[in-house]
Amino acid sequence: MPHDESRPPVLHAEGLTKRYGRRGRPALDGVDLTVPPDRIIGLVGPNGAGKSTLLHLACGLIEPTSGGLRVLGSRPAADAAHLARVGFMAQDAPVYRSFSVADHLRLGAKLNPGWDMAFAERRVREAGLDPHQRAGGLSGGQRAQLALTIAAAKRPELLIFDEPAAALDPLARQGFLQNLMRFVSELGAGAVLSSHLLGDVERVCDHIIVLCGARVQVAGDVGDLLAGHRALVAPRGRLAAPPPGAELIGTTHDDRHSRAVVRLDVPDRGVPAPPSWPSEPVTLEELVLAYMSRAESQTVSHTGSRQEVSR
Amino acid sequence: MIWLTWRQFRVQALVTAVAVGLFAAYMLYLGEDVRHAYSSARGHCGSGGDCAPALADFQARYRDTMLFLAAGLALGIALLGTFWGAPLVARELETGTHRLVWNQSVTRRRWLGVKLLSVGLAAVAAAGVAGALLTWAAHPVDEASANRFDTILFGARNIAPAAYALFAVTLGTVVGLVVRRAVPAIAVTMAAFIAVQFLVPTMVRPHLVPPKTTTMAMPADAVNRVRSLGSIGGGAVVGGVTLPDEPGAWISGTSALLTADGRPLGEGRFNACLNSPPKTGAGGRFGDTAVCLGELDLHIEITYQPGDRYWTFQCLEAGFYLLLSGLLAAFGLWRVRHRLN
Repeated sequence: MPHDESRPPVLHAEGLTKRYGRRGRPALDGVDLTVPPDRIIGLVGPNGAGKSTLLHLACGLIEPTSGGLRVLGSRPAADAAHLARVGFMAQDAPVYRSFSVADHLRLGAKLNPGWDMAFAERRVREAGLDPHQRAGGLSGGQRAQLALTIAAAKRPELLIFDEPAAALDPLARQGFLQNLMRFVSELGAGAVLSSHLLGDVERVCDHIIVLCGARVQVAGDVGDLLAGHRALVAPRGRLAAPPPGAELIGTTHDDRHSRAVVRLDVPDRGVPAPPSWPSEPVTLEELVLAYMSRAESQTVSHTGSRQEVSR
Repeated sequence: MIWLTWRQFRVQALVTAVAVGLFAAYMLYLGEDVRHAYSSARGHCGSGGDCAPALADFQARYRDTMLFLAAGLALGIALLGTFWGAPLVARELETGTHRLVWNQSVTRRRWLGVKLLSVGLAAVAAAGVAGALLTWAAHPVDEASANRFDTILFGARNIAPAAYALFAVTLGTVVGLVVRRAVPAIAVTMAAFIAVQFLVPTMVRPHLVPPKTTTMAMPADAVNRVRSLGSIGGGAVVGGVTLPDEPGAWISGTSALLTADGRPLGEGRFNACLNSPPKTGAGGRFGDTAVCLGELDLHIEITYQPGDRYWTFQCLEAGFYLLLSGLLAAFGLWRVRHRLN
């Protein structure tokens, strides 16, 4: 994809903090983040990590407690013109139960100057929705398709999906997500997609943000991340301090071996010896899990209890 | 936005239109009935007729109906606030559809502004029509009884109901925005609206314009014109005073009976006249007591609003409710942008 450096980043957060209520634990805690344009971004993290909070901030549904966030170079939901540039599909795909499918398309047409009715009608047809059906009678998957159509047919530059596949059974998930990504690229839009399942995002996204315990643990293009991390394999108990030039992220053990995921200070340089244990490329899953477990253990050691963040 | 507002609002609008239609039909019937009764009561007036009792009968016959209708109109307006206003935003927040509609290319301020204005104007129209019809139907009774400032009836005439309706809908909408759930919002709106409707006539309305004051001498015939003497709490007081020169005035305050030097009449002398007045064989409502009190050279001080200030009060009352609605709407428009988490 062409990268035009003059365009503002899709997301740019500085010290972004969100607290629900006055005394609550923050749902997002000092997040710094810059996502370059033209990416399909996967936002991964366990339930309660702050994914929905970040996405709600990004589409302007809520305002940050402190810190700043710019989306496509502007304050989220700054005005009608900016609203037109960002499409959002909320978790659980809310729709008006008493409205028919056709009513929803009419709503989109009335409220969006850039509405593409031909695209919307084609999407509805492809998804097998009856235009006269009331939205209250749609299944979870059909509702997701409808909400997706409304978010996409206003032709935004950036589409934000909050757990779009959550209402679907595992079999339908993958097909739905691939279909989603196909038409995102048809629209020529960027996309942010959140999921608590890495499997949902790793096949369709080229940029990953791991959010855990209200903080961004790691973020970057998938290729860069894979190049910047290695797995060291050593007989169990022989892995001591991390080697120079690398930071230890997490270690897993089986009966005979320990496997450590390390981040290289200089990518693609390999791990300096000694001890030169055999090192292997990491998988994305391994990398994400290592960061999540590290965040989990830090949270436990800092607060003595598991972190539970609402939403 | 207007299409969406109508699409979401059309069932309530239709139900209300039917209700207003039924009310209008009853008002037309009642108005004719009242006019017929009024003209036959006035038939007794003129040369040597028993005019006053006939008009009193006419008033008494419709008094309960008028009170019932005023209360019914107030309840109808409260229902506009609870069933049009309260769910307007609360239902969206409850079902999560705000996350759908607020991400279309329409700012939340405009979304709320259009909804408030459309539903508010519809409420003004509904209550305005109902109020105007009731005012027309009740006109002969109001003319005969000359108490248009009556606490209950005042709010059911002319432009006041329309202003109440705008306030009720705005109140309901903003309560829904804060409470975020439809059913609690309905309950809070109902309670708050009733509270305001009780507080305004007692706390605000009397102070909208500084009242006039006058001193009224209390000879025996003046004593006989008041409705009551004394009170449960004791004291030389009178109740139900009317001003002969100011028909339709609203008496907002009456002092105790004052002696010539301006001091309140002693309770002992008052009770003596009340319980054992000298026998004179005088007639009138209070008989010997009136004569006894009349001889004491008493007067009372009255604060009142002249009857010709009626329209000033209608406009000021409507303006007060309009101001409240405006403040609530401004708060709602600020809150929908900045304080929704």
